Amino acid sequence: MGRYVIRRLLQAIPVLLGTTFLIFAIVYALPGDPLQALAGEKRVDPVFAAALREQFHLNDPLIVRYGYYVRDILSGNFGTTFRGLPVSTIFEGKFQVTFQLAITALIFEAIIGIGLGLWAALRRGKWEDKGILAVTLLMVSIPTLVSGFVLQLVLGVQLKRNTGIDFFPVAGIQDGLRSYLLPGFVLAMLSIAYLTRLTRTSLMETLRADYVRTAIAKGMPRRRVLGRHALRNSLIPLVTYLGADLGTLMGGAVITETIFNLPGIGQQLFQSVYLRENSVVVGIVTVLVLIYIVANLVVDLLYAVLDPRIRYE
Amino acid sequence: MRVTKGAQIVAGTALLALAVAACGGGGSSSGTGSSSSAAGNAGAVRVEIAEPQHDLIPGNTTETSGAEVLNALFVGLVDYDADKKPYNRVAESIESTDSTTWTIKLKDGYKWHNGEPVTAQNFVDSWNFTANGANAQEGNYFFGSIKGYDDLNPGEGKTPTATTLSGLKVVDDKTFTVELKNPFSGFPTMLGYTAFYPLPKAAFESEGKLKADFGGNPIGNGPFKISKPWKRGTDQTISLVRDDNFKEGKAKVDAVDFKIYTDLSTAFNDLRAGNLDIMDQLPPEGIATAKNEFGDRYIEQPSSGIGYIGFPTKNGADYAKNADVRKAISMAIDRKTITETVFSGTRVPADDFISPVVSGYRQGACGEACTYDPAKAKALFDQAGGAKMGTIEIGYNADGGHKEWIEAVANNLRTNLGVEVTPKPVEKFAAILEDLGNKKWSGAFRMAWIMDYPSPENYLRPQFGSGGSSNYSGFASKEFDDLVTQGDAAKTLDEGIKFYQQADDLVLKEMPYIPVYFYQTNGAYSQHVKNVKIDPFERIDLFNVEKA
Repeated sequence: MGRYVIRRLLQAIPVLLGTTFLIFAIVYALPGDPLQALAGEKRVDPVFAAALREQFHLNDPLIVRYGYYVRDILSGNFGTTFRGLPVSTIFEGKFQVTFQLAITALIFEAIIGIGLGLWAALRRGKWEDKGILAVTLLMVSIPTLVSGFVLQLVLGVQLKRNTGIDFFPVAGIQDGLRSYLLPGFVLAMLSIAYLTRLTRTSLMETLRADYVRTAIAKGMPRRRVLGRHALRNSLIPLVTYLGADLGTLMGGAVITETIFNLPGIGQQLFQSVYLRENSVVVGIVTVLVLIYIVANLVVDLLYAVLDPRIRYE
Repeated sequence: MRVTKGAQIVAGTALLALAVAACGGGGSSSGTGSSSSAAGNAGAVRVEIAEPQHDLIPGNTTETSGAEVLNALFVGLVDYDADKKPYNRVAESIESTDSTTWTIKLKDGYKWHNGEPVTAQNFVDSWNFTANGANAQEGNYFFGSIKGYDDLNPGEGKTPTATTLSGLKVVDDKTFTVELKNPFSGFPTMLGYTAFYPLPKAAFESEGKLKADFGGNPIGNGPFKISKPWKRGTDQTISLVRDDNFKEGKAKVDAVDFKIYTDLSTAFNDLRAGNLDIMDQLPPEGIATAKNEFGDRYIEQPSSGIGYIGFPTKNGADYAKNADVRKAISMAIDRKTITETVFSGTRVPADDFISPVVSGYRQGACGEACTYDPAKAKALFDQAGGAKMGTIEIGYNADGGHKEWIEAVANNLRTNLGVEVTPKPVEKFAAILEDLGNKKWSGAFRMAWIMDYPSPENYLRPQFGSGGSSNYSGFASKEFDDLVTQGDAAKTLDEGIKFYQQADDLVLKEMPYIPVYFYQTNGAYSQHVKNVKIDPFERIDLFNVEKA
């Protein structure tokens, strides 16, 4: 298994190089001069711009510039922004915020998604099943932008003003864990819907499997059949989904973080793309790719825990 | 100063705001029964800002968010009263006999937050630092009228021959003199702006070199001092506490927290929930709600910005060169509908080149030419041969939320003048400016202006003077230049106004730009505070804000 992990980590290197190069090429291929963004609507001072161009190697070909970037990254240096702020300063605390948000979302997703899915599968064809399907359909259909603002208005503003219950903060992270509940739920909504449906299908399929029928025929208690045999086997696709989703949630928090004013990397990414701070954009993407790779590795390793037949070599 | 403030943030949020406008408006409730909130530092007044684009250094701050914070930390030579006229604060007197050499005397008793007295040297050090091109300060251009500026900023490819402004001289601890390149009676109006604040000795590492950490932990001379160093890019709150040694007395509130938001709609929801106290800018879709819910705690007042449609009158297309056609276009624009619908009332129709926030503005100065009259417009347009001059192009930058109103103008012109109009989006505004500078832009373009200092001169010379720093229309008139110069040389600002107004009339007649709308400040505040006033620079007078 050790060899397997090492091999996977080695495989990650070309993936990382490829993705960072792609994003590097893309941000610099965007039309317009990134230095112009420094001056807003004014014309940028040519002397100042020339000095910056030199400093950031903007006169060199893309591949050379990428070389410089990789060299810096290898020494743990994410570079500085055009405005002179070290990218690492910008990252400070931001990944934590986003990670906390993603984990909150993941917990919502796992509990509500798997819970509803199981319930629907067990009550297959009954009104509960149909109700759950309808609810998930609704969740898939509402964009985050809408659900975010509506929930913020209803639970953050109206609830407090009409009842005095001040439980859901409108914005910011000053209320600790409580701050993450609403945004976490909003972020999780889409995935909850998917996960519910995935759980339902997966479990229903397992319930039809021969070994489950055998177990039931042997007179094994229903709880044990479900918990030990059916559920555990139907978990594999769910774990895959959850693992991959961690990366998606972290990268996909742009809108949620903006609506709830959470100082995480999503909000930063949005601003940095807008302000053409290429070094920040590439830095964030690099870290996100790393997170994806690690999350996927952990998922693959979890398979063995769930299904002892799986071996790694 | 061209409109740059907040444009980046506003444009970013406009994306979001537009998409949710449908669900934002409907939720107004009675607004009673709100309890006080327990969030944040106890007792602090919480003010919304966007993230300042630079550290808290006066000379490097030309956007409104940073200026808001600095306005609480620092106090300048002058400030502006309700009539937008300057009155002395740190200055005891600002006098001149020829409007060229100014003697500035300081009052006793103003102290830095570290206890040192504010001296004439502090002002001179600060101005020299900002005026030095090598320091790349955003507020650099404010010092362009002072003698010696060109030695510090010789232009591209040349080396500066000085490190200090030759026009600044310290006479004694409390007195210094400023020599201008040309007489300017409005000079005192400039001095209340952020870029003219002094800097303490402690700000400098060595002569002319600022300490690296000063911008995060500034020492000011204002009613509030920083309570905890601010780390730009990381900290989401800038916390200030009252300085009890402030000469003018204690501020009425103990502490101020500036909370950084990236989205105005979010901040507005926080304000409605009672987690925020003051906003001096509201999301467009929230204006109607704010009027209803906040009642007399809703603020609506003119701000200094003007939005134009401009023309390259010298090197442009035929329609751009013809004054009658420009006038016809102006008369065909339905300003009232555009300001009310496209801008949800956050703009008002413009009728002068001088903004209502400065003395010298005359209501309806533009007269008939800015009055919506499709029939007359069409007649004038045809008479001037506009129909044969081809498609009218209107350029705008696609990143600033201008598409909607430019499209509306285009529709007005199509309907009322029967002419083909092509709105032409460009990625960045600077691209239009670049092309105009190189005489490559032939069509009409959007333009905007925000004042640098509250003088009519600031709305005229930079934009319409021959060789003005922002003259993009190519308008040039000796008569105009002379009138403005006469205004500058007048003994007092008031005496100068009539010359400025005559110059204004000349521009109104030629219409190199069409004034379309005046910007407005829309703000609101919570029940926890009262006596909230916003000045023409869109800064909140936090010194006088009280707890309700």
